[in-house]
Amino acid sequence: MSDEGPALDVVQRWFQAVVTSPGGVDAGIASAEAQRLVPLGRGELERLVRRSRRLSAGERLGIYAHAYYARLLECLGEVFPVLARTLGRELFESFAFEYLQRHPSRSYTLNRLGASFARFLEETRPDRAGPSAGALPAAWPDFLIDLARLEWEIAEVFDGPGVEGQPLLSAAEVAGLGPERFAAARLATVPCLRLLSFRFPVNRYYGAARRAGPDEEPALPEAAEEHVALGRTHFVVHRYPLSRFQHALLGALAGGAPVGQAIAEAVAAAGAPLGADELAGEVGACFHAWTAAGFFLSLRQEAPSPPPASPRPRPTGSAAA
Amino acid sequence: MSGLVTEAARKPSRLGHPNLGLGVGLRSAHFDHILAHRPAVDWFEAISENFVDSRGRPRYVLQQLAESYPIVLHGVSLSIGSTDPLDFDYLAKLKRLAAEVKARWVSDHLCWTGVLGRNAHDLLPVPFTEQTLRHVVERIRVVQDLLERPLVLENPSSYVTFAHSTMSEWEFISRMAEDADCGLLLDVNNVYVSSFNHDLDPVEFVRALPHERIVQCHLAGHSNYVTHLIDSHDAEVIDPVWELYRLAHGATGGVATLLEWDARIPPFPIVHAEVLKARRFMGERLEARDPGRARQPAAGAPAAEAAPALPHPLHHVLPEVA
Repeated sequence: MSDEGPALDVVQRWFQAVVTSPGGVDAGIASAEAQRLVPLGRGELERLVRRSRRLSAGERLGIYAHAYYARLLECLGEVFPVLARTLGRELFESFAFEYLQRHPSRSYTLNRLGASFARFLEETRPDRAGPSAGALPAAWPDFLIDLARLEWEIAEVFDGPGVEGQPLLSAAEVAGLGPERFAAARLATVPCLRLLSFRFPVNRYYGAARRAGPDEEPALPEAAEEHVALGRTHFVVHRYPLSRFQHALLGALAGGAPVGQAIAEAVAAAGAPLGADELAGEVGACFHAWTAAGFFLSLRQEAPSPPPASPRPRPTGSAAA
Repeated sequence: MSGLVTEAARKPSRLGHPNLGLGVGLRSAHFDHILAHRPAVDWFEAISENFVDSRGRPRYVLQQLAESYPIVLHGVSLSIGSTDPLDFDYLAKLKRLAAEVKARWVSDHLCWTGVLGRNAHDLLPVPFTEQTLRHVVERIRVVQDLLERPLVLENPSSYVTFAHSTMSEWEFISRMAEDADCGLLLDVNNVYVSSFNHDLDPVEFVRALPHERIVQCHLAGHSNYVTHLIDSHDAEVIDPVWELYRLAHGATGGVATLLEWDARIPPFPIVHAEVLKARRFMGERLEARDPGRARQPAAGAPAAEAAPALPHPLHHVLPEVA
């Protein structure tokens, strides 16, 4: 310590330890970390922090301590509004309070504050703690985690890379290809396309919760597989429900598979195979809807490969006829 | 004769920056209104952190507005007073954004936001010591070299002072500005809030600053908890703060002035009308009115919210979902 008091880095580490202490200012001052930095006995706080005419030094530090958690809890509530509403403020904030202690912000932007929240819920789910933690329905954590994942993905798509102002693949371009060339084509998906699968229909629930009035509580759904695509047009995030087949098909296309191969993979992944005509109609409808939704940037045509095992896809234009 | 000319007199006012007039802090709640109506606002100030990484609507809106309004970038995470290393990734992005939107200047706060890699997302106070002064001045120089422009630093609202401080806040700010050759953003509401909280004289604070270095003024509302004030940016500017503004206007000769409103944000026309009130406090020199009015305690009822108001700036852009 110099004539000017403790070194600046010591003051700052002490201050941070005290005002971010989950137990409040007194617990923070008494913590091993704070005491190692600036040993202060009871009643000695004014050696470091001045009192004012109206507030003690501890009360003044408490303003920062309150603001630290209140500010970040408010921010997390804005990133996960439907989850927060579903849990109720008290329960949501108890999860979020624990999260902030394990994952304090390390970024210059608040936009990343919620990045690990869904993973945190997964890692701390009560059924991980052993059989004694089974007071809640077993599937309840799955629902909350899936809902957190959806809300985080929406936030990411909103402010992430998009394709506004860029030319996208049109239904007419797809329709202009013959079946063989279409089957061999690879599609470049837009960077704002996200493909998600959930154990609960959280997308449907999310929509119902947003439509519900302030005094309405949307019914909690039963467990059921749900697939969703997120996209962005004109800077607004859109949610597209997908069947298991559609999710598998889009996933294969996004992974770089040629259209024909992607269809075969989707048929294999989706279980119950469709008849050839039904499948062709389904594929055509998909490409019609997906080009309209702006899922594809462009296509790359390659030399036609041998016909795939699955029925030939019907280009988009024909589905509209 | 030249020997009689003081250093202050040789320094161009506002570091040579223009007086942009009366501006409004850009908030996402107003994006639609501003794009649709193109209000007659003199300029906008954007919170840097809400835009540096954006590849979505916030960045697009800022780009659109930069085509027809002067833009200033105002940061909350530079952490110029921290003993952690400067974040050069952030600074590089800030520089790119400033070039992209032709930012008239780039500002942040005399504060630190965290150490050991953490960010409290708060404007934390520094002790006013020689050690802190050397540290902050050195970092300002590094930032200015990197940004290739003078940094403009704001006096934050604060809620504690340190027993080992060896100088007043205004002395620290004055020496910092001279030693680092940087600009100042004078937040007259913060002067009022900090002075109340630390039993200081806000008039002395404003008078003691190097006025030729003040590039910009901030105005905002705050919350009164009787024992202390919180810089909550959630209300109209109170009369004593307007009187401080009158004092600052006279002392500086007039600088770009901006209103911040960050919580319980009203419709844009109300926010705009609030900053336009500043016109009533212009046109008179420093001593033209009784500065004692600026020392008066806050008028009106103390805040009585269920939960205490939060210090701002805090602003987080909410996603838009169909």
